[in-house]
Amino acid sequence: MHGPVVRAPASPGAAELVQLLGRAADGDAAAFRDFYDRTSAKLFGIILRILPDRGEAEDVLQEVYVTIWRKAAEFDSTRASPVTWAATIARNRSIDRLRARASRPAAPLETAHDVADAAPMADALIDTMRGAASVHAALAALEPRQAAAIRSCYFEGLTYEALAEREGVPVGTLKSWVRRGILRMRAAMAEAGATA
Amino acid sequence: MSGPDDMQGDMPEMTPDEILALDLALGALPREERRAAQLRLRSDPAFRALVEGFEADLSPLDATTDPVLPPRSVWEGILAETAPQPVRTAAPVSAPKPSLWNSLALWRGLGFAGTAAAAIALVTAAPQRQPLAPAEVATATPEAPPQMLAASLAGADGTPLLSATWDPLRGTVVITPAAKPEAEAAGTTPELWVIEGDKPPRSLGTIDISGPNAHAISSQRIAGLQPGSTLAISIEPMGGSPTGLPTGPVVATGKLSAI
Repeated sequence: MHGPVVRAPASPGAAELVQLLGRAADGDAAAFRDFYDRTSAKLFGIILRILPDRGEAEDVLQEVYVTIWRKAAEFDSTRASPVTWAATIARNRSIDRLRARASRPAAPLETAHDVADAAPMADALIDTMRGAASVHAALAALEPRQAAAIRSCYFEGLTYEALAEREGVPVGTLKSWVRRGILRMRAAMAEAGATA
Repeated sequence: MSGPDDMQGDMPEMTPDEILALDLALGALPREERRAAQLRLRSDPAFRALVEGFEADLSPLDATTDPVLPPRSVWEGILAETAPQPVRTAAPVSAPKPSLWNSLALWRGLGFAGTAAAAIALVTAAPQRQPLAPAEVATATPEAPPQMLAASLAGADGTPLLSATWDPLRGTVVITPAAKPEAEAAGTTPELWVIEGDKPPRSLGTIDISGPNAHAISSQRIAGLQPGSTLAISIEPMGGSPTGLPTGPVVATGKLSAI
């Protein structure tokens, strides 16, 4: 087992999102709308990286928020931040959709991305940003190909097999790279958290 | 860590469960393995905790993802699906609405789309209770056998798909679809399972979900059914799972609660 990673304390923004989810769980549609307004651009961005087809990504985004509405009562703020919880639903739903296809058409990865919208970023995302500094420092400390492999799996939802084929390396090697890289990231982040 | 990490998947510092949890959280598993691991999330809290740990560790990566403003139509779609009383007065009540059964292709075997953070699609339809006088609340006893149990079974996205009510006096489970199910693929049948704690799923037999139906289930199979157990429906070959465990996609789950 690994030691628990020290997580950044919740910001006021995250606390607000927790409250909004709690009210949504009680059926407060306005709170849910507020939660959507603060988080949907982020989730849409995450989905689009995995599912570059705009229409498909919109379908998934819709499903994700219907899920959030229905499962708001299950959210446990002691186990995850609201943004992480919602983003995890979005990632998982996108990857499930991707896997449901027989095979993935070669996707033009970057062309599907619009420029970032001008919407103000929710305060809660600052938490993620803080964590991001340490996660990126940790990634930067890895071998470039190792870091790239982790990014490809995480952001594109590629399987080890697909990525190994693309990179021209044996699957076993790739798995090893990625898993070891993540363990090193985790260790580096724990250290950064402990000394912060 | 030594060298450039080319030890061919040999990870002595991690348990097999940790490796699986990492692979699932990262999103690198192929479809069948992913589905199997997702199924395990719901019955194995220790495994779920491992997955959630990796998800939390990886989530800061999302900060580099640029936000993209979704079109307004997405919110309208969400509203249409979540509003308790959609304003569609023009539509006749009996008109088949474009159901989630279709849009999610639940019965096409596309599978279970659970998440680690919200693995168990648990929707307990709160029974409408009459307000109790305070004295009654204080003395109300939960165990008044024989107890009726009910579960609202929801798809992986939390959409209620059907309800199941267990009537111990009649020895039947009444299944009532919440939406009109799409016809099953030829040669397949839904099968009802109960998952008690950490035990493997136990079959309660194949079921008919084309409309409200009472299913007689032998007392032997039903023994021990209690609140808190999870009911699940998977899509199996005609005649039911050949292995005694779910082999097809799990399309709906829900927890039993006393009513």
